[in-house]
Amino acid sequence: MLADYIQIPIAAALCWILFVTVDIVFRLPEKGGVKGAAAIGRKIGEDGGALPGGTMMGNIVSSPDASAGTLLAACGVYVAGLPGGLAAAAIVFIGNRICHDPGYAGTTGAVLASFLVSGFVVLGFAPENFIAGMVIAILTIQGLSHPYASRLLARIWGWRS
Amino acid sequence: MAELIALYVCGLIALFAAVRTVVEPDPYRKLPYLNVMNFAVAGLIVLVLVHPLSILAAAAYFVGSTLEANAIASARAAVMGDD
Repeated sequence: MLADYIQIPIAAALCWILFVTVDIVFRLPEKGGVKGAAAIGRKIGEDGGALPGGTMMGNIVSSPDASAGTLLAACGVYVAGLPGGLAAAAIVFIGNRICHDPGYAGTTGAVLASFLVSGFVVLGFAPENFIAGMVIAILTIQGLSHPYASRLLARIWGWRS
Repeated sequence: MAELIALYVCGLIALFAAVRTVVEPDPYRKLPYLNVMNFAVAGLIVLVLVHPLSILAAAAYFVGSTLEANAIASARAAVMGDD
């Protein structure tokens, strides 16, 4: 079993790749789901960022997307194993509907994350390290530098479209 | 031991994001920082209350806070004509 200070960065990288991939596949950078998400995206674009990346960040703020699904699935696996993660996916779907969003990105992210975290628990990872890892992953996108994060997301979006 | 490290990571990130939310002058750009804080607090709820039902508490907190951020941003966009 790996030490915690090695597990957390690995978990953060896996969560980052999972939620960015699912969000890009579900075309979150394309347009703001609600007016507020589009306004956040435009503001980040005006302040030196890239508009598609900013729009995706606005969408993450405005509705539980794959990042929220990954976090809640990791929490679910931590407290109740794989069924807990799948229960979290159902809750994320309800949360998406409350936030006026079709809910496919969040639910897909939560289901995939439940299996990912459960699989790594079998390999000897601690599920709480995935909670910390997901919080670090969202910090790198939303909490450090909006211009750089939005340009990075826009570049990944460029490969997709 | 692992849960203590995860607890400190989430706590420090929540604090950092809260400070950045307060010092950021632009109202729209406050919201992504607030979003990071909400992630960290949702994680903290589950790490502090280790019980199968705590996932409901974390999800209720997270969905509620997301809905509030959505409402603040959308209301501001509609009132200020930013849409």
